[in-house]
Amino acid sequence: MKGRCAYILMGLLATLTWCGSTAYALERFPPPQFETDYVRPTPTLPSPHPPGHEHVAAVLLVVALAAAAYLVYRRRSRKALFGLMIVSLVVFGFIRNGCICPVGSIQNVTMTAFDNGYALPIGVLIFFAAPLVFTLFFGRIFCGAVCPLGAIQDAVLLRPVRVPRWLESGLRLMAYIYLGAAVLFAATGSLFIICRYDPFVGFFRLAGDWNILVLGACLLVIGLFVGRPYCRFLCPYGVILRQLSRLAQWRVTITPDDCIQCRLCEDSCPFGAIRAPTERWPQKQYRIAKARLAFLLVLLPILVAAGAWGGYRLRDTLARTHPQVRAAEHVHLEQSGQIQGTDDVVDAFRATGRDPQELYREAARIRDTFGLGSALFGAFLGLVVGGKLLSLAVQRRRDGYEAERASCFACGRCYSYCPKERQRLKKNGEAAVR
Amino acid sequence: MAEMLKQSDLGKHEIACRTAHATAKVAGVLSLIFLVLLVGNTVSTRVIAPARENRLAAMIAQLRSDPTNESLQSDIRQLDLSIRQTRLWRLTFARMGSHVLLLTIVIFLIASKTAASLAKGLPKPGPRRDAGRRQIHEAAVSRWAVVAAVIVATGAGWGLLEIYGPLAFVGAQSRGPAYASMAEKSMQWPRFRGPGGAGVTRFDNIPTQWNGPSGQGILWKTPVPLAGNNSPVVWDKRVFVSGATADQREVYCFDADSGQRLWTGDVPTSPAAGKKIEMSEDTGYAASSTATDGQRIYAIFATGDVAAFDFSGRRLWHKSLGVSENSYGYAASLETYQDRVIIQYDQGDPESSKSRVYALDGATGRTIWEAKRDVYSSWTSPIVVEVGGQAQLITVSNPWVIAYDPSGGAEIWRAKCVAGDTAPSPIYAGGLILAIEPYSQLVAVKPDGKGDVTASHVAWKMTESGPDICSPVGNDQFVYLLEGSGTLVCCNVADGKKLYSQDLKDSFMASPSLVGNKLYALSETGVMHIAEVVPEFKEIAKCELGEKTHASPAFAPGRIYIRGAGNLYCIGARP
Repeated sequence: MKGRCAYILMGLLATLTWCGSTAYALERFPPPQFETDYVRPTPTLPSPHPPGHEHVAAVLLVVALAAAAYLVYRRRSRKALFGLMIVSLVVFGFIRNGCICPVGSIQNVTMTAFDNGYALPIGVLIFFAAPLVFTLFFGRIFCGAVCPLGAIQDAVLLRPVRVPRWLESGLRLMAYIYLGAAVLFAATGSLFIICRYDPFVGFFRLAGDWNILVLGACLLVIGLFVGRPYCRFLCPYGVILRQLSRLAQWRVTITPDDCIQCRLCEDSCPFGAIRAPTERWPQKQYRIAKARLAFLLVLLPILVAAGAWGGYRLRDTLARTHPQVRAAEHVHLEQSGQIQGTDDVVDAFRATGRDPQELYREAARIRDTFGLGSALFGAFLGLVVGGKLLSLAVQRRRDGYEAERASCFACGRCYSYCPKERQRLKKNGEAAVR
Repeated sequence: MAEMLKQSDLGKHEIACRTAHATAKVAGVLSLIFLVLLVGNTVSTRVIAPARENRLAAMIAQLRSDPTNESLQSDIRQLDLSIRQTRLWRLTFARMGSHVLLLTIVIFLIASKTAASLAKGLPKPGPRRDAGRRQIHEAAVSRWAVVAAVIVATGAGWGLLEIYGPLAFVGAQSRGPAYASMAEKSMQWPRFRGPGGAGVTRFDNIPTQWNGPSGQGILWKTPVPLAGNNSPVVWDKRVFVSGATADQREVYCFDADSGQRLWTGDVPTSPAAGKKIEMSEDTGYAASSTATDGQRIYAIFATGDVAAFDFSGRRLWHKSLGVSENSYGYAASLETYQDRVIIQYDQGDPESSKSRVYALDGATGRTIWEAKRDVYSSWTSPIVVEVGGQAQLITVSNPWVIAYDPSGGAEIWRAKCVAGDTAPSPIYAGGLILAIEPYSQLVAVKPDGKGDVTASHVAWKMTESGPDICSPVGNDQFVYLLEGSGTLVCCNVADGKKLYSQDLKDSFMASPSLVGNKLYALSETGVMHIAEVVPEFKEIAKCELGEKTHASPAFAPGRIYIRGAGNLYCIGARP
């Protein structure tokens, strides 16, 4: 039955995309070409949000984060956390149309740092900072119960399959690339890539770009079997939260007491966050591991340098994301006769009456900025790869089953698998009856 | 009793489980139904609707050729209405359908999750394996997975590099702009009357002695195939002139050192050229001087044909502006600004609204901007000058002196201060725009205004002279007017006060020029009158060319280029 349901749902989710795109595809049509009695109404712009709208949303976010922290650490209730997750999905997703979200706010903050003319609204700052602050204390509670992007994936998870750890290690690099690219593009004023390619915002708005809806539908279909694929392998904000959660004051524990290693929770996490207790390596392995560690430490600066070089080589390709650079390229191709005719970009530029050389100079300046930015981007990726290899070369000691700090979304699924937790709940229930 | 209670609980669990399953099935079936309906809706929208719209478009096209067909009009209205109604209906259906679908999916998810939760059994851990070995193996495979991901990412980066390649404009940009700067132009003679149309050269090693008939001081003399009254344009080692007859238009490039004709560029005949052109004999078909931006040479003819050539003689483009409604024939010369060629194309009267200023893309001939002008036809040439760091395109035509922004064509200011058949071109001297009203006056306008500055920015008017053809020339102290009858008038540029007038006892069509502190005025008979630039007339020399001349001379370091009635002359010392 489960399998059949899952397959049906696959079709349904694809339909959701189709449906959204269908609504979108039915575009408005031109006015009639002959006179009619109909008086066309004057077009009006939608009213701006009332003052304080963003502040209310920011307060709601902080309240939701506080509630999540309470439910994870005090109540230890999966059901309550699921309820909060659904409320967040409705409020931050469907009601607020998925904007502003902390994931996208990375770009606003980056742009503020690099563009003196861009002021960061206080609401956006709170959306960016509040989950980070809560993560420093409570781990990734934002991901587990507040983020609408995570919630929609969690809601469709029906038949989780275990992703091999090696595959997860490889795929997770995508999130770092995404984060680096988002920062680079925002810093250069090119593109808000996270918002442009937000896979779920189309579902929240029941409308959107066809390609993005397909991307979102694919992720949801994958999400039927693979828990939160976007959060684990793509989310740029998740990358920051991963690192901060390692430093968290408190961490989610599967058991409220000492682990008795009953192994009942071993497969309870659909996100592969539960780690088994470790055993001491044989002496020979230690020697090999030490040599490997030394090699990787030497390799690290080489990887960073290679990444910087590769990034710098890609500067032209990356610079094309900037509209000014694209316009310069179009104008030049047309001027040099490499393309025939014209297009909107060239026409728009021509309409400004500006000198093409001025455009070229401006675009060349942006390209130079991309030279530095791309090199830093590449160096960052080199550092990430080196760091990842180093982390895989080091053994961490664990005496019982525990949720890995970086990977745990604090969803509370594992609580009920622990017999000690059940015992605690039973005692609490009896105490409540008494 | 306990057994019965347990059985009762089991029964409830079974009922809940079945209910959840049934709900999931119903929601799933409903979702499928809506899926089919929405797919059908989309197919209809994308396949059937366009066919009907095409039919409507065909009917509308038919109506254009048969506008009085009332039956067709009625059919169009009905079909248009039907299409609109259908599209509105489909739009509503798609919107509602997607909401219902979302609802059924939510119900399906809830029911499915409930059913899965109720059916969930106790976890059954598998046999305990060697954890240490497994962790070592996992770490090893993970490292290789990271390496593989790096290889994939590198491959993707390399692929992107291969697909998109480097940015082409960067090379173009590093080679410098595709046109000469104002500073570069000031070192050349890029248009009629040189840089900014001022008639002033910055070189003072210009010959003051020559004699055409004897060949003294004549570096070379070469015939120009077709006639033309346009003046030579000089860029480095090239001299450009154009020539035309009623059915032939040519641009010539001569070697500046030898006078050898390097190439001849044909300008095609537009259909408009077949039209009889109204013009005076003195004007001819090639009265307009060429202009260059350092990369290309541009030419315009009385037929309204404009063309651009590169310096190797390859014609880049040609376009026709149509024959100008101009009683003496089109005679305005071209100006360039950055990579665009500026054409003042005045014709008819203000009511006919036919006058324009065009800025054409030098590389393609495409119109970058054009400005309508409420003026009469004119024969003046536009000039681009820099005022307070901003470029202004100055035009003179009865009754307005108008300044435009040459970048986008926006009008900056205008002054109503000239009348009649304006032919002398304006100049910018002593911080003033100087324009001539033929047979009447010289007007000085301060160019720092906005809008209509007639009342506020006309600095002075000098009403004692008004040449009919020759343009003025001036510096920070004096401005010289040369009447066709031979009277040279010198005024103070600051206030327009007349300092002297001198009859040169000759007739003139070429405009005078300034070379340092010397004034050069070339008469119709080919005699160059050279005088000192001082508050009173002091003749320095008279040099005979031996050929009639109408065109103004061009200056280059150590040389003068003069176009005679049939020959092009270079005056200067042999290298």
